[in-house]
Amino acid sequence: MTDRPTTPAVATTGALTRLADEILPALIARLDVSDLGELEVRHDGWRVRLRRSLEPRAVQAAGSAGTGHAAAPEAPRGATSPAVGYHLPNERTPVGTKVASGDVLGWVEVLGVRQEVVSPRDGVVGRSLAEAGQAVEYGQELVVIDGARRAPEPVPVPDVALSTPAVD
Amino acid sequence: MFTRILIANRGEIALRVLRACRVLGISPVVAYSEADRDTRAVQLADEAICVGPAESRRSYLSAASIISAALVTGCDAIHPGYGFLSEDDTFAEMTRAHGLTFIGPPPEVLERFASKAGTRELLAKHGLPTIPGSHGMLRDDPHALAEAERIGYPVLIKPSAGGGGRGMRMVRTARELQQAITICRSEARAAFGDDSLYLEKWLEDNRHVEVQVIVDKHGNGIHVGERDCSVQRRHQKIVEEAPSPAIDDTQRLALAEMAIKAAVAAGYENVGTLEFLVDGDGKAYFIEINCRIQVEHPVTEMLSGMDLVAEQIRIAAGERLSVRQADVRLTGHAIELRINAEDTAHEFRPQAGVVERYLAPGGPGVRMDSHLYSGYEVPPFYDSLLGKLVVWGPDRPTAIERARAALDELVVEGLVTNVPFHKALLESQPFLDGAFTTNLLDRVGAAAFLASTAG
Repeated sequence: MTDRPTTPAVATTGALTRLADEILPALIARLDVSDLGELEVRHDGWRVRLRRSLEPRAVQAAGSAGTGHAAAPEAPRGATSPAVGYHLPNERTPVGTKVASGDVLGWVEVLGVRQEVVSPRDGVVGRSLAEAGQAVEYGQELVVIDGARRAPEPVPVPDVALSTPAVD
Repeated sequence: MFTRILIANRGEIALRVLRACRVLGISPVVAYSEADRDTRAVQLADEAICVGPAESRRSYLSAASIISAALVTGCDAIHPGYGFLSEDDTFAEMTRAHGLTFIGPPPEVLERFASKAGTRELLAKHGLPTIPGSHGMLRDDPHALAEAERIGYPVLIKPSAGGGGRGMRMVRTARELQQAITICRSEARAAFGDDSLYLEKWLEDNRHVEVQVIVDKHGNGIHVGERDCSVQRRHQKIVEEAPSPAIDDTQRLALAEMAIKAAVAAGYENVGTLEFLVDGDGKAYFIEINCRIQVEHPVTEMLSGMDLVAEQIRIAAGERLSVRQADVRLTGHAIELRINAEDTAHEFRPQAGVVERYLAPGGPGVRMDSHLYSGYEVPPFYDSLLGKLVVWGPDRPTAIERARAALDELVVEGLVTNVPFHKALLESQPFLDGAFTTNLLDRVGAAAFLASTAG
């Protein structure tokens, strides 16, 4: 959940309890009402990063050490190809269109039969990763879905009232 | 000749077909499932394309996905390997309808040989002796009982649509027959979508001997000798060798000539294997034809020096056979050991997991066809074949010696394999005597077999 301090020091149990009981819930609430995908707070060597999970409402807390890196490569966040074939974008869902999970963003034509490319979640249609008529394979990401999770850089939020954990 | 071939398979056979493409100067494209992204064939291909999820029904068995993959990658032919869509006449027909060549028998030929019972009838007309069996499919229980009585127990219940020994059951009495037939029907319906069954006389101590044939589009056919696949467990081959120790040279030649003559006369085309059961007196009975390249084809390649997959591709493209029968020279002895990810000591339970270390054996006459590499993860979704260790020697004892040495060199760490079984087999008296029969392992039990050769 939380970081090890970047300075070689150990947090007290009290500080951890306070972080878990007070600070994290406050941060989660803030992230939840925002449009941010990720939120990071740094204070006195502590770093707390929150990131939305795939489920639109749930929020995941992720901490990483100063030198560490977010774990394994993530699964595609956008809409993926349901089959191997030719990509046909949906003209009615251009970039910027607000979409809900399950909305049809295009098709992949397999031997003349169209299979739907659907949005995996609520969000806004971002850039297209495959052109019209382009050959695509199964599972290939075709359309970026912005919104919720799509925040490439962690955004620092300086005004969060995060009390310093006691660091000895 | 083709310029680009889609390889619609996985594992060692995808790699084998890829190698044949390289030799022929054809560009190989590999179709793979999500579970096979890290396989050797995908790494070596000119292009690789994901056709579906791990579940083979939605990837390797999806005719539309495979054909679409061939079209979008600009291929002009599809090689189905073995298993999956390799003997599916509907798939072959679809392939052709999209302007692509199916590397295998044409759809009409696949259709003609699709039913085992129909094939036996057809080839019997062209001179092949068959095992006494039921006339046609079993209609109901009284019909089955009457037919079994006429043939004489024990009899084998076989699903018409089956393959690879799946869904078969041997019964010794009328009572057993009645019980088994219901189970066989539901199993066949579940596995093949077709519950047609037929009966065959059970030959107690038989050998499995098969003949490799190749027939081009111009009606030229050759045989490339026989293979003996008598080391089996529940009708699944584990070891294959050639020549067969069960028959002498006169019988060998007669069997092969009979097989190729019948195959050509019945209109077979492409590479194929005619399977026979050989009884204790050396008498052969035709059982079925496999309309594909087989797992054990390297045994024949070792004896003949031919590249059967390359030859298969050439004749599918319409070329004439590159050799005449008189040019086929079979020398020495070859043995293939199927290296499987399975626990011999525990009912051959299949294994999956990471191959932590893999080192292939070598030396004169040693060939290892395997898609493994250190760090490769064997997925749990497919068959357990990890590779085939094939050895050749000028004679059988030398081949066995080389097989022992090669097995000692082979390193597969990280998951349980059947290497201990092979080591035991190569020390067992029935195998050394060339006297292994198809039911020996099942009768003795694998655990007992391992224990009996341990000392």
